[in-house]
Amino acid sequence: MASDYDVIVIGAGTGGYVAAIRAAQLGLKTAVVEKQKALGGTCLLWGCIPTKALLEHAHALKIVQHAKEWGLAIGPSVSIDMNQVQTRKDRIVTGLTKGVEFLFKKNKIDWLKGTARLTGNGGVDVFEGEKQTLKARKEIIVATGSSPRSVPGVEIDGKRIITSDEAIHLREIPKSVAIMGSGAVGVEFASIFRRFGSEVTILELLPRLVPVEDDAVSAELEKSFKKQGITSHTGAKVTGARATADGADLDVELADGRAAHLHADYLLVATGRGPVTTGLNAEGVGLQMEKGYVKVDAQYRTNVPGISAIGDVITLGGPGHPQLAHVSSAEGIIAAERIAGQEARPLNYDHVPGCTYCDPEIGSVGLTEREAKARGYDVRVGTFPFGVLGRAKMAGETEGFVKIVADKKYDELLGVHMIGLRSTELVAEATAALRLESTVEELIRTIHAHPTMAEAIGEAAHAVHGAAIHL
Amino acid sequence: MPQMGESIAEGTIVRWIKKVGDKVDRDEPLFEISTDKVDAEIPSPAAGVVSEIRVKEGETVPVNSIVAVIGPASAGADAPAAQAISPGKAAEPKTPPAPAVKAPEPPTPTPQADGSPTAAAKPTPEPPPAPPPPKPAPDQEPKPATESTEDLIRQRSSPLVRKIAKEHNVDISQLHGTGIAGRVTKNDILGFLDKGAPAPPPPRPATPAPSGPTFKPGALDSVEKMSPMRKRIAEHMVLSRRTSAHVHSVFEVNFSRVAQAREKHKAEFERAGAKLTYLSFIVKAAVDALRAVPVVNASVDDDSIVYHKEINIGIAVALDWGLIVPVIKHADEKNLLGLSRAIADLANRARTKQLKPEDVQGGTFTITNPGVFGALFGMPIINQPQVAIVGVGNVEKRPVVIDDAIAIRPMAYLAIGYDHRIVDGAVADEFMSHVKKTLESWDPNVV
Repeated sequence: MASDYDVIVIGAGTGGYVAAIRAAQLGLKTAVVEKQKALGGTCLLWGCIPTKALLEHAHALKIVQHAKEWGLAIGPSVSIDMNQVQTRKDRIVTGLTKGVEFLFKKNKIDWLKGTARLTGNGGVDVFEGEKQTLKARKEIIVATGSSPRSVPGVEIDGKRIITSDEAIHLREIPKSVAIMGSGAVGVEFASIFRRFGSEVTILELLPRLVPVEDDAVSAELEKSFKKQGITSHTGAKVTGARATADGADLDVELADGRAAHLHADYLLVATGRGPVTTGLNAEGVGLQMEKGYVKVDAQYRTNVPGISAIGDVITLGGPGHPQLAHVSSAEGIIAAERIAGQEARPLNYDHVPGCTYCDPEIGSVGLTEREAKARGYDVRVGTFPFGVLGRAKMAGETEGFVKIVADKKYDELLGVHMIGLRSTELVAEATAALRLESTVEELIRTIHAHPTMAEAIGEAAHAVHGAAIHL
Repeated sequence: MPQMGESIAEGTIVRWIKKVGDKVDRDEPLFEISTDKVDAEIPSPAAGVVSEIRVKEGETVPVNSIVAVIGPASAGADAPAAQAISPGKAAEPKTPPAPAVKAPEPPTPTPQADGSPTAAAKPTPEPPPAPPPPKPAPDQEPKPATESTEDLIRQRSSPLVRKIAKEHNVDISQLHGTGIAGRVTKNDILGFLDKGAPAPPPPRPATPAPSGPTFKPGALDSVEKMSPMRKRIAEHMVLSRRTSAHVHSVFEVNFSRVAQAREKHKAEFERAGAKLTYLSFIVKAAVDALRAVPVVNASVDDDSIVYHKEINIGIAVALDWGLIVPVIKHADEKNLLGLSRAIADLANRARTKQLKPEDVQGGTFTITNPGVFGALFGMPIINQPQVAIVGVGNVEKRPVVIDDAIAIRPMAYLAIGYDHRIVDGAVADEFMSHVKKTLESWDPNVV
């Protein structure tokens, strides 16, 4: 195998493999270094794909649980076979990782198995068994991603105090699960475990669930979770956690200052993810780092010429670079095109859609009402409940709403937030509208097919201007 | 004075249809104007009584100037607050509650009006003989000099940008778009507004056409001011001659088969309300040839060749008061029936002054028809910023030699004027051969 490439990508997650494909499409000889046994990174192996597969299982169970209402005759009791769940989930994951392998072959991208170490001047050493020495003629793209990160006082043992990496492989249905953190990972697993039959308790440090979402979305989710029997403690601090033989003991300081002790079969730590740079020798080649993240500019160049970085491992300076598969992919494409000599247009991070697959699911893009006000906009909002729609009634899913945040001055669309059935799909329309710099009136004049959940978007737009039609 | 198009800075009142004291209904023709692009009757934006006329016939005023005041039907003269005609909406004015014709201040800056240096490169041609003369003073040009024709073609924007532009009275075509394909984005327009009010439109060069030899009119000569249209034609013709390296080539075309097709289908077209003329066939043949030889459907932008994706064919229409070239948009998407209809419609509207500014813009190639006046062939001047024009001579029966025998056939000369800067003789002849072949091998059964 030749050891000289135009581009060497380190990491085959959704950032790295997409960057590699784009680079290869543009005629660059490209290699990807990946230490895992399969391609696809966190998204395919432990993240988006397996968790959403589990959520689909939970949804299937939900339908069956409500069989009577649907007029379906199913035996006296309903249960779920976790072995079959895992088998089906693994089949989906394997299928998709093989798909990436196929794309590599098709684009003549070399996959070098092993751990990469930067050696300077375009050099990369790959360790697995023996050392291979590679050289990048044009650029190295660091796309090493992130891994679950705990907080002080809570040590992950991988058995009883676990992260999402372990949770996706559980073959038993725990009687009880405590979940630290109510970001996407926390609330998705809350939905999965609750549907499968576990007692679920969420412990969130901040005053509301899904803290990055609009306040109204948080409130709606909290209401729905309560109805489903999920216990949520917001403003609650976990001060200590100990794994025991059959579970985990937690010390919690509740919002009102009371101390509480909790026991659960498992403690799932979903408090965030941190950068992965182990063995990379980032400092050794002089990469500027910020709190462990690789610092890049808007074109994903590091301070070292010839080294770019994308995805979960980067910071653009300032807070909150979103750790999302689709953001990494978008960054990978921009970096690859820039390396190939094309014009690179910076991403607008205000237009990144976010999808959370809890039940009811959440889709959002753009500014929340709170953020819009903080930026000084003269904010107008319009909200329309899904429950009014025929499509929602048919599906038996009448929770949630679409909320549009707009600027009064120019009727500018600033954000669209939804919670409820198909919200993760509906957000696509809102994302396109934001990207195209739509006004609210354009959304009003856009025909929304009937009967669909999307009608709620048009109606919420009407609501911004005064009144929805069907309310 | 209504804004009749983004690049029009002024207009001349040719005739007042209503006089002071006349009652006028909304949308009833009020006055007739002549601008760089079109002559048009302007409908009244409101019902009432004309209480004041401020601009005399023959006077030229900037767009958005107040030209008259319409008072309430009963009160007559003292119209209180004048009502605005919003710029760019003149063609379809709204009914203002308080009837009076005024125009909003400040006027929309339209630095591209006649005479902007980019105008010559801008591939939205004015009615041929009528685009702007080259501008001598580029200092005030708001666009960066590096802007390519491509950027100018794509005056793209977003709904939000249009909304902001409307509120601030900004001409989007002035902005440099940084979005994909030159799209004007929110940041672009906000940045533009931040920089403060744009520079006022540069003053028009007094007499852009090069002056001919000076002479003094004799006592018996009569002197008449050129109409705005005549002035445009004069400027444009001279500009074109100076801009392009004109070369002409003449082809003789046998129209026998086209004549057969025409005879065969004339009645059918008439039933469909269209007139099947030789010109329809020629336009069709030209469209096919333009597709085959794309450099003829192009423009020159500094040192680049801009190949137009659209095929928009201008058709020169002679008027009693001049000449105008309305454009068949997307001619390549029309069949013979569609082309016949479009030609008839444009010619008809040109003669009744019903053309809109967009009807005379965007042409990528022009056909002119001196044959209707009996010419054997003409040597047409290119309609800038296009690179070729075809003149059609009279179709008449002539003796021709076919297979060493003399036969009588309907023949015509087609002359192409092309810009040798980018179209070489061989290419122009390839184009014309394509046209000739299409016409001479026309299947009489197919229209």
